Amino acid sequence: MTSRFSTLVWLALRNLGRELRRSSFTAAAMAVGLALLIVSRTLSDGAHEDWIDAGVRLGTGHIVFNAPGYRDSESLEDRLSAEEVAATLAAARDAELHGPSLSTVRVSTRGLASSPEGGLPAWIQGVDPADELAFSRLGSDVHDGRYLEEGDRLHAFIGTGMATRLGLRIGSRMVLTAQVADGGIEGQLVRVVGLFRTGLSGLDDALVHIPLATARDWLGVEGATSVATLLPHSVFTGQVIAEASAALDASRVEVTGWEESTPDLYSMVKMDDAGDWVFHFILFAIVALAILNAVFMSVLHRKRELGLLRALGLSARETGLVVFMEGVMLTTAAGVAGVVFGFCLVWVFFRDGIDLTGMMPADLTFGGIVFNPVLQPVIELKHLTQSLFFTAVIGLSASIYPAWQVAALDPAESVKVE
Amino acid sequence: MQGNSESNGASGAAADYAVRTEELWKIYPQDPRPVEAVRGVDLTVASGEFVAMAGPSGSGKTTVLNLLGGLTRPTRGRVWIEGREITALGDRELAAVRMNRIGFVFQSYNLLPVLTALENAEFTLLLQGVAASERHERVRGLFKEIGLEGVEDRFPPKLSGGQQQRVAVARAVLGNPALVLADEPTANLDSVTAEALLDVMEKLNRTKGTTFVFSTHDPRVMERAGRLIRLVDGRIEGAAVESG
Repeated sequence: MTSRFSTLVWLALRNLGRELRRSSFTAAAMAVGLALLIVSRTLSDGAHEDWIDAGVRLGTGHIVFNAPGYRDSESLEDRLSAEEVAATLAAARDAELHGPSLSTVRVSTRGLASSPEGGLPAWIQGVDPADELAFSRLGSDVHDGRYLEEGDRLHAFIGTGMATRLGLRIGSRMVLTAQVADGGIEGQLVRVVGLFRTGLSGLDDALVHIPLATARDWLGVEGATSVATLLPHSVFTGQVIAEASAALDASRVEVTGWEESTPDLYSMVKMDDAGDWVFHFILFAIVALAILNAVFMSVLHRKRELGLLRALGLSARETGLVVFMEGVMLTTAAGVAGVVFGFCLVWVFFRDGIDLTGMMPADLTFGGIVFNPVLQPVIELKHLTQSLFFTAVIGLSASIYPAWQVAALDPAESVKVE
Repeated sequence: MQGNSESNGASGAAADYAVRTEELWKIYPQDPRPVEAVRGVDLTVASGEFVAMAGPSGSGKTTVLNLLGGLTRPTRGRVWIEGREITALGDRELAAVRMNRIGFVFQSYNLLPVLTALENAEFTLLLQGVAASERHERVRGLFKEIGLEGVEDRFPPKLSGGQQQRVAVARAVLGNPALVLADEPTANLDSVTAEALLDVMEKLNRTKGTTFVFSTHDPRVMERAGRLIRLVDGRIEGAAVESG
């Protein structure tokens, strides 16, 4: 070990080894902090992904393909032709590169749902029953009856809110009225085959699913108003949008991510994320103080030794570097231990999720989603890397001050200290 | 300014001395008035000398040693080590001079507690980049000479006070310095151990020509010194001094 730097590293290691108990306690405090950070981050990311999944499954998917102008007009005039739907589905299929994805073709329009007891504004969607069952959560929220099936023709799946207000039951008939493609107003008689209950009044009171073929015949359209695609994870949204946009003619097909198509949900995730960062900042600050305290106390106890190092030929900078490296090594050891401990915690205690049913009201909704009371951890590499990066930055920053103090020590005064 | 002079010494041109100072002052700013710890010391120590610096507590002995060793910078005046002015050097150059040309022995707690006796002794050689085999050979050779055989792997707390000081002396001389500065090295030792330590240093001075400058209260050190310098109130006794 003849190089000067390696001598300093060796000395720093020996110093840490001497104060093994103190070093271990400090590293343990940091490791626990980081582990909690990882647990908190993965649960948070899990919750966010769950919210997004719930939101996009009830809405437009992670990505929605529309004709330009449709998102503002919601008019059948702004629809995708059959060729454009085919091209869009092909582009959406390329998203399979990122994992299994699902697409559903919809013909949607605003209209009126009426029964002998009255009428209600309705958001009518013509859907392929098999595709929609895999895509949407509605199929699993069946309150009564069943979801649409292949071969259904004049059937409808409606919310419990609408059923109550219109006095409808399974087997009841209702009339849907809407403006069709040629501009006229036409009605369609359908029979209720199933009721859903999401807990979201906006859906339970207004959404009506009918078979896609029925909607096309009734409304006089061949293509669709939208193609919604569900990705294996929201993190792929940006990439798939870029790939699909490159493959499609932008003047004919508009590609929109869930952040834009469901802005309430996006805002909610962002707000919660901001809250998490505040919590994480506090954890980071505690970790930083732990390091600062440990390294600084160790410096105060070793003033004489540090003065001796100067007398023996180390420069002020090198003496400071020894102390800085002690902090760096401590941070590195704690970082590795914290990551391992954090993942063990996530794996051992939380892989099946945390059930918060007793801590929140049933059917708690916000931002267009129903909260799932079971928090399931999700490891997002980006956030994990951020946590590690900030821990490293804080560890290094907290080592700089004691190192600077050491570099500024007066060696003649230091060697006098008993 | 006429300095207070123990010896005018040679000029810096011919470095036939280990250390030389010129008009050395150290003033500590303090309330209500600054403390003049060292007042215009002119001193020359020839290579191979065995010099003791005596004086009452507070007379400035340790401060002079620190100034000679570049551990503290003078308020005024200059210091040369073997012809090289160290008072003009930056921190890194000064550290290099301390590593290569100066050895230190302090009163106590002299060793790095995280290193074994051997590692402490070879520390300067390690910093100098000497290969491990040569380092170990030199340390073991010197340990044998000064009666430290068998303690190589012990950590400082497992060594007696005398052994610790001998390890410190070994560390101080192993790098072949121009000068070893020893600040009351026998102060914490019993008389037998102190005599043994002085024997070691005297032997190294005699056989290797290592220059030693001590600060001391110990009459045994003064008796053995080739030259005795007395410091009183920050100046060499008998020398004239102008006000700082």
